[in-house]
Amino acid sequence: MGMFGRGPVIVGTVVVIFGLAVFLWKSVLLALPVTPSDSAGPWRVELSVTARGNSRGSVRAGLPTTSARQVIFDESNSPDRLLFAIRTEGYQRTGIWSGRLRGVHNLLYGFRVDLTKAPPVEIPEGLLPPPPAEIVSQYGRESTDFPAASPEVKALLETLAPAAEPAARLRLLFGFVTDEVGKTNHGSEDALLTLAAREGRPEGRIRLLVALLRAAGIPARPVGGLQLREGSDPRPVLWAEAWLGDLWVPLAPNDAQMGSAPASTVVLRRGDFVLVEATGVEAVGHRWRGLREHLRPEELYAMMVPADPLLARLSLYRLPVETQSALRALLLLPLGALMVAIFRNVIGVPTFGTFMPVLIALALRTTALLPGLAIVGAVIAIGLLGRIGLDRLRLLLVPRLAILLCFVVLLVTGLALLGRGADTRDFFGGVLLPMVILTMLIERVSVTLEEEGTRAVLVKAGWSVSAAVAVYGIFQSVGAQHIMFSFPELVFVVIGTLVWIGGYTGYRLSDLIRFRGLAEGERQ
Amino acid sequence: MSVLPVRILKELRRRGVLGINRRNAEYTLHWNPRRLYKTVDDKIITKRICEAAGIPAPRLLAVARHHFELRQLGAAMESVSNFVLKPASGAMGNGIVVVLARDRDRFLRPGGRTVTLPWLIQHASSILSGLYSLGGQPDAAILEEKLNVHPEFAAIASDGVPDVRVILYRGVPVMAMTRLPTRQSGGRANLHQGAVGAGVDLSSGRIVHAVLANRHIRNHPDTGETLIGREIPSFEKVLDIAVAAGDETGLGYIGADVVVDANQGPMILELNARPGLAVQIANRAGLLPRLKAVDREAATKRSRAERVALGREIASSAKEME
Repeated sequence: MGMFGRGPVIVGTVVVIFGLAVFLWKSVLLALPVTPSDSAGPWRVELSVTARGNSRGSVRAGLPTTSARQVIFDESNSPDRLLFAIRTEGYQRTGIWSGRLRGVHNLLYGFRVDLTKAPPVEIPEGLLPPPPAEIVSQYGRESTDFPAASPEVKALLETLAPAAEPAARLRLLFGFVTDEVGKTNHGSEDALLTLAAREGRPEGRIRLLVALLRAAGIPARPVGGLQLREGSDPRPVLWAEAWLGDLWVPLAPNDAQMGSAPASTVVLRRGDFVLVEATGVEAVGHRWRGLREHLRPEELYAMMVPADPLLARLSLYRLPVETQSALRALLLLPLGALMVAIFRNVIGVPTFGTFMPVLIALALRTTALLPGLAIVGAVIAIGLLGRIGLDRLRLLLVPRLAILLCFVVLLVTGLALLGRGADTRDFFGGVLLPMVILTMLIERVSVTLEEEGTRAVLVKAGWSVSAAVAVYGIFQSVGAQHIMFSFPELVFVVIGTLVWIGGYTGYRLSDLIRFRGLAEGERQ
Repeated sequence: MSVLPVRILKELRRRGVLGINRRNAEYTLHWNPRRLYKTVDDKIITKRICEAAGIPAPRLLAVARHHFELRQLGAAMESVSNFVLKPASGAMGNGIVVVLARDRDRFLRPGGRTVTLPWLIQHASSILSGLYSLGGQPDAAILEEKLNVHPEFAAIASDGVPDVRVILYRGVPVMAMTRLPTRQSGGRANLHQGAVGAGVDLSSGRIVHAVLANRHIRNHPDTGETLIGREIPSFEKVLDIAVAAGDETGLGYIGADVVVDANQGPMILELNARPGLAVQIANRAGLLPRLKAVDREAATKRSRAERVALGREIASSAKEME
């Protein structure tokens, strides 16, 4: 008994074979890695700067240098009318775009970095040799940013840490800034104002710590870098380093960490923490982007420059980071659609709309799983409650949907108030795009309510969420992401499988349940 | 009582139960061209087609497509004592208002509730705005004569009008069931809302089997009357007009809903281009052997009476094979 149509089987098989052939050629003959070999591969980091002006000007950005903690490779910058040069002073490298600005300039600089987790630095105890003269002259002096000689700092130092050995003084000063100077996002960036208010911004606290250390005779300097995070933009972070004995000891009061820098950071600038600055420019804005790669550097190289010249031109790994991120998500959609087809046509469960589970899964990707599901649940609940409330008024469909949308906006606003204090930037970054998806969900819920009743809504909601969680599982899988992005020809395998499913005329799992009574004996 | 999935699968295949994928791929998608759907989805068009072909259908008393026509609709409602007000493209019985009688300015509905003319006009206005139509599209409100429950059905239907659903394939009736409203279904004849589905043997016109929510029953849950063996009145005529209406639509796989009126006999209530598969549960039989038998007989060339006879023959030989 043919459960599949003949045409679909032939066409489906041809398409599957084509996709698999390309895949096998690349993976076996060209030996491109099929699975992500390393869960902690290098990062691709990109800085995009937008500068506007009509005179001579320059934009400067701190660039990373290879060290024991970070290996920098594959640096690139996009061509622009401005001249790009890298100035190296000691360990510090600075990228400088300069020239005559004409209107808006979009500047792009990118690099890959392999981070090694450094063990915490042992703080040297006891009597220490005096710091070398060049370090003292560069990092031991008072300045406007680090007012080590001011009476306030001196007085505090007297009461806090009278002449003791350097390691003990360092601990006391670090403890003071960490515990007794509060961290706020609206305080001062100045060392003395931070000291007076006993609270300040991260910048103010670091400046205060450096000033206190220098006043105590310990050379110190601020450090600026990026904390690389999966799934969101890199976060600029700052900490300090103090010269003790014969090494620099990292001090991160903003993360309450002594002896090690904040986790997963790439250092961009030492001695100052302004990462991007400009002169002679009317307006400047910048944004960092980061993307975790799950391949070792040599594998990455094989992906970027495969042996075959045609493939080398087609490699997605050479696209800009932003496009890559988008394509990584996009290429997972066929897998999601395949999952939905299996849920609908093979298992036979009802869902809202056709691809609503895929859209919900996309929304869950930008929030986290549980908060996302809570929001989806709340939207369905609002839909049901809204019906009870609005049914009596007998309103027309579109205004009624619009009212439900307003309720959802109020709900999100309420959540933002509740979540005050927490890091709401991620939440809103995540919520605004899914608002579109939620609006469509409301519409589907409402129409289903109208046409099929509350029970159908609950059944469909249950199955939609189950399918969405299954699709979300695929979307979150590093392996699936890697294989689809590295071997986009697999989309043909998905298409072929969909042709098969489209021609499947056998029973759905739900048919078996529905007609099970027919299979039982004649007893009544 | 639980049966292994593999055993269910084998048993369903043996009985030739039609599943949803197969119905869509080989029957509705193949035999029902999309452009012909509007003839069954819009009840006004269905009525017009029936009228032109001389097929009995509930009389259309008035139609309102725009809000300015609502006054005329109101006047029509005042001029008759009972009627049904419903959306032209409604689904699953939503938005239907039945009026049984009139006492001065009060209109009596089933269950003893009364409403006023302004309430009815307001309801018609909601219909026009698409409150009850699929997807909220603007719709028309129709006023239709109210049919009366045939005395044969009176004992086995509560608060509503039962109908007979006939499945037609290539112009041949292949299976039928009667849908009996219950108190639980609120007078509606929809199986998933709690109506009884009773399989009707095509050759004898008698109820052979009945289910309520996937449970086998012998008696009506409200009245306690025996269902099995009961005969559908004028069943010959029911099949005849179902086939005639099916021929007019040009669709190859449809469900015709026929109501047997106490005075006027069988009438076409509506037609459905995607009829459900529950008819198989109500009949304890699969559709596939019958559909294949129709294919073998190249049925479309025969006359109406011959096709009805063919359907009855196929049904009874399918029963013998069981």
